[in-house]
Amino acid sequence: MAKRIGKAVTYFLLICIGYIYLEPIFQMVSKSLMSASDVIDPSIEWLSKSPTLNNFKVAAKVLKMPKSLINSICFSAGLAILQTTVAAMTGYALSRFKFRLKNFWFVMILLAFIIPTALLMIPRLIIFITVQQSTGVQLIGTPVPQVLMAILGQGVNGTILILIFWNFFNLIPYSLDEAAMIDGAGPFQIFFHIAVKLSFATVLIVFLFAFVWNWNETYQTSTFLGGTMELLPMKLSVFDSQFETASSSGIGAGGTFKINEAYKMAATLISIVPLLLLYACVQKQFIQGIENTGITGE
Amino acid sequence: MSEKNKKVHKTKSFQRRQDKYGYLFMLPWIVGFVVFTMIPFVMTVYLSFTEVKQDIRGFNIKFTGIYNYRQAFFVNTDFTPALVSFLGMIIPYTVVIVIMAFILAMLLNTIVKGKSVFRTIYFLPVVVLSGPVMYQLMNLNPEVEGQVNELYYTFLIRMIYSYSPIAAGAMVSLFDNLSIILWYTGIPIVLFINGLQKINPSLYEAARIDSATNWQILWKITMPIIRPTALIVTVFTIVQLGAMDTINPVLVMIKERTANTSGGFGYAATISWIYSLIVLAIIGAAFLLFRERKIKETHKYW
Repeated sequence: MAKRIGKAVTYFLLICIGYIYLEPIFQMVSKSLMSASDVIDPSIEWLSKSPTLNNFKVAAKVLKMPKSLINSICFSAGLAILQTTVAAMTGYALSRFKFRLKNFWFVMILLAFIIPTALLMIPRLIIFITVQQSTGVQLIGTPVPQVLMAILGQGVNGTILILIFWNFFNLIPYSLDEAAMIDGAGPFQIFFHIAVKLSFATVLIVFLFAFVWNWNETYQTSTFLGGTMELLPMKLSVFDSQFETASSSGIGAGGTFKINEAYKMAATLISIVPLLLLYACVQKQFIQGIENTGITGE
Repeated sequence: MSEKNKKVHKTKSFQRRQDKYGYLFMLPWIVGFVVFTMIPFVMTVYLSFTEVKQDIRGFNIKFTGIYNYRQAFFVNTDFTPALVSFLGMIIPYTVVIVIMAFILAMLLNTIVKGKSVFRTIYFLPVVVLSGPVMYQLMNLNPEVEGQVNELYYTFLIRMIYSYSPIAAGAMVSLFDNLSIILWYTGIPIVLFINGLQKINPSLYEAARIDSATNWQILWKITMPIIRPTALIVTVFTIVQLGAMDTINPVLVMIKERTANTSGGFGYAATISWIYSLIVLAIIGAAFLLFRERKIKETHKYW
């Protein structure tokens, strides 16, 4: 009996906390459906009296919707592919070769995660501006700085991506490598034909994390890329001011638009729906990815 | 003799091979680390003692000694308060996130049905959490100020307020943003569950046979074993919270100074360096807090 009560309490707590987790999303959905009069009506908490999809139309226009969505997907996916490749190589090196100073580099990889990005931004910016001035090639305001950092393994949360690969490669028995070596395969062939082909699921996991993290990263993106490329999260971060200019130039038919929570929430919802859809398809991979980092020890 | 020589030669060539391919695979990362992390790290420390001016020919760097530091602490009135409010955010938030993640992981670990559903819900924020989204959500309720006042009138908060206004402010912001704070527990929960599942169940059995209560088991078995995981979770949480400019006023300041490329890089370097030292100090404190405590000699040989 006591056990059953304990179980009931556990489920009750879990459901309550689950509700707190989802509340912002529920609120987003409910607010985004409200008309302007519902927003200021204090008697309406959740359900709109006159639900409208108009907010989405306006918000999508201000967010420059189809274009910014496609840009965001291409941008994040591109960086994610580069990050995944480098993370796989680095993880493979750490897992398979006993090179000198390996432990030192391992500590450096962990350290790279701890050092606050804010500390590195100013010199990075100075480096890029200096290169830009001495070569005459435009770098700031293009994706080049971030692409470069991704290729060289310094992208968003690169350390975690490396750890996921490292841990997975450690699970592949060394005898497979030896068998391939006897058949005359070189290290690169072993890497491609054994390690990478066996770790297709891991590659997918790392790619997904890199994709999501690059999508959600706005600090570096706003510094290096600025507003030159229309990205969905960046558009959301300037939504309030963009809304003003868009409404003054007249987005809708006549009527004045005043910014309110309904528009803001509609915009926020639009910007996270792609991620929610992605999560709905591959949520298992995401959770496994973190389980497989192996940083909780064997 | 010759055989021995051969062996030495063989291990040498083996090591050379390992070095060659190891570094070949590591090469992109090492180059990136040196160029984009190590050099910037050293450069920031240097720049923090300088004044940086940008003109047509490039950057003009002038050494100014501790001028920037004096500016940050004694002249500019906005840096120290931002730092204090950053501390008032990161310490309580981290504590709450780690403890909540641990409790949720414990709860999730006891149930069988619906485990994956709950895990999916708790992990969801990891995917959608970003600065702009957080900003919109935290500014969602215009009546929030009213709520703050309401909270301020509760007895407990007023009592704390009379001792330390900062602590009371931190508590109020904690309750205000509870949902958003909980959103950071997604990855910690998975890490904790992972750690909990690695505990050998026979340890629990043995303790039960010795008539230990659940409470004793929690403190004497689960907690000590989970400690390394707790350290990782704490460090991870500090890093994640610090990177979010919506809740980090210092980051906003650094960002503003960085956006202004015509000057102020030196000062921006100074505040980002001070800020980073503090973050690293907090992480160091976490290490000390979770370090393996040495068993006393008397206990060792009983």
